[in-house]
Amino acid sequence: MTPLLDHSLVVVVGSGGVGKTTLAAALALEAARQGGDTLVMTFDPSMRLKDTLGVGERARDREVEIRTGTRGRMWASLLDARATFDRLVRRYAPDDEAATRILTNRLYAHLSGTLAGVLEYMAVERLFEVASDGRYDCVVLDTPPTRQALDFLEAPDRIIGFLDSGALRIALKPWFDREGHLRGASRFGPVGRSVEHFFDRVVGLSLLRDMAEFFQAFGPLYAGFRERATEVAALLRASRTVFVLVTRAEEERIPETLFFARRLVESGHRLGPLVVNMRHPEPARDRARGTVSPDDGDQLMAWLGARDRRGLDRLRARMATHPVIDLPLLAEEPTGLSSLDHLRAILAERLPS
Amino acid sequence: MSLLADLASRRFLVVTGKGGVGKSVVSATLGRIASGEGRHTLLLEVDPRENLHELLGVAPSGGEVVTAGPALRLQNLQPRQVLEQVVRDHLRIEWLSKRVVASPVFEHFVDAAPGLKELAILGHAYRVLTGKARRQSADLVILDAPATGHGLSMLTAPQVVSDVIKEGPFGHMAGELAAFIGNAAETGVVVVTQAEEMPVQEGLELAQRMQLSLGRWPELLVVNGLYPPVRDRRGSPDSELTRLWHTRRAINERELGRLGALWRGPRVELPFVPIDRGPALPTALAPVLRHALAEAEVLV
Repeated sequence: MTPLLDHSLVVVVGSGGVGKTTLAAALALEAARQGGDTLVMTFDPSMRLKDTLGVGERARDREVEIRTGTRGRMWASLLDARATFDRLVRRYAPDDEAATRILTNRLYAHLSGTLAGVLEYMAVERLFEVASDGRYDCVVLDTPPTRQALDFLEAPDRIIGFLDSGALRIALKPWFDREGHLRGASRFGPVGRSVEHFFDRVVGLSLLRDMAEFFQAFGPLYAGFRERATEVAALLRASRTVFVLVTRAEEERIPETLFFARRLVESGHRLGPLVVNMRHPEPARDRARGTVSPDDGDQLMAWLGARDRRGLDRLRARMATHPVIDLPLLAEEPTGLSSLDHLRAILAERLPS
Repeated sequence: MSLLADLASRRFLVVTGKGGVGKSVVSATLGRIASGEGRHTLLLEVDPRENLHELLGVAPSGGEVVTAGPALRLQNLQPRQVLEQVVRDHLRIEWLSKRVVASPVFEHFVDAAPGLKELAILGHAYRVLTGKARRQSADLVILDAPATGHGLSMLTAPQVVSDVIKEGPFGHMAGELAAFIGNAAETGVVVVTQAEEMPVQEGLELAQRMQLSLGRWPELLVVNGLYPPVRDRRGSPDSELTRLWHTRRAINERELGRLGALWRGPRVELPFVPIDRGPALPTALAPVLRHALAEAEVLV
């Protein structure tokens, strides 16, 4: 039996299109089956988990219990970055007026979606909320699809870096007077002047004004944000947190997978089993012989099976003794609890003990 | 008019779709087709993890323009790089530019300003096409855009920015780019998908959102990686692999049916070919895609 429950937090990472969300759900189901009260949280914008677990829109941004019939109970929550951000603003703003100022700033809608790492950061913020209330034995977090899987990991550090940077101190200065005119920036020296002059010329004052207003409205929230980000960074490195890295067997994915595995470990995180998902099965050796001209499809499948075998072998060789689990490409993606349980069973059997 | 002729009349193609469906392969294949007809084509890649060069058999770009054929060029471009050039062009003093670019204010501004990165990339494509880029020109730019959500932000960024900023060169540029992207005669949006549930769902959602924000449906849908049709479905296949193929093909057909009912624009199909990722892949797909485009008619 796999000691999945030894970990109170399982973070599922990997690049887009490798089946992270479904795998996170299967891992959570296994944890619940082992007797732990488990929560699975997903950031999948397509809300795939909603269909797989049959939880519907009501699980958006809150925990909904799934009737799994397992020893431990299981909950699911669909994360919504914007809603989490809004809630944080309301919680940390000193008063309603300050909260409203932020929420109605015309840049807020864009910034809350585009500010580097916000989506990833919101995942960890939300994670912190549920992890700190201690209701669950195990939390499985499906991370947002990022172009680079590392984005997620670096989000708290990046937010801390941003909060600590000189940029923020400058943004918080009273740049504009009551009439909305730019105040003299001479006190920032020639560099300050040229930067400001450049922004003025290229961007126009109105954008700058809105940005300054946004950051100032945000001012009172920074301390809370910073503290949280630090705690979250520690949580991700805690001894009861494990990362499950998901990939596929194609050879071109190997360098990226190895890179991410190495970075995870180097940055002080615990790397659990590496999962090679959606592997095409290999053709049976005795079959090709005696078959009259195999169909195009059979040829393609044989090629895919051989390709995936090659990729998997290479990855295993490079990972040395580290556990690498392969999961087959299922005929149909799990669309309900019973098909998810099928994937869970395969996974449970292959997880290292 | 055939789809091939329609695409040939455009100057800017934006290729997007869910991650892992083959956007880069389709971009490279379109690049091969267009340059094969003698159009000077620039393939623009924005993913910092370069991979288009592998599909063209050339060295990674690292920001430089790389020649990949008689009329085909490749460039991997990071927004940061474009914006630094803008700073240099405006300040004209080298030491001052260096200090601006190195300042944390600049860095965080680039990160935080909504739409700035998208505008930088689109602006570069636009300057290349209008002959305003230094030492660079092209008849056609094919942008291998980020995955669906980010791909759409790329297309709507000029409009969003020009709504917020009306004054200054930045606002002016945003307006100009919004008009360029909005002009269906110049800019074509190509959505790549696979005939599977989630990619099709995302493709349809992208098209609907594009209809809302740009007022039109994507110009082309490429359904990539189709398993070969099953000729004889009688009896139960004796091997696991054959069963997997049959089920996967059945999913393909179900999703093609869904697209047939819901996709309101032209679409073409590409087979799953047993060729490793590399220059041979777009070379093999180019005649197939070209033929499909020549056969398909633009819906009026």
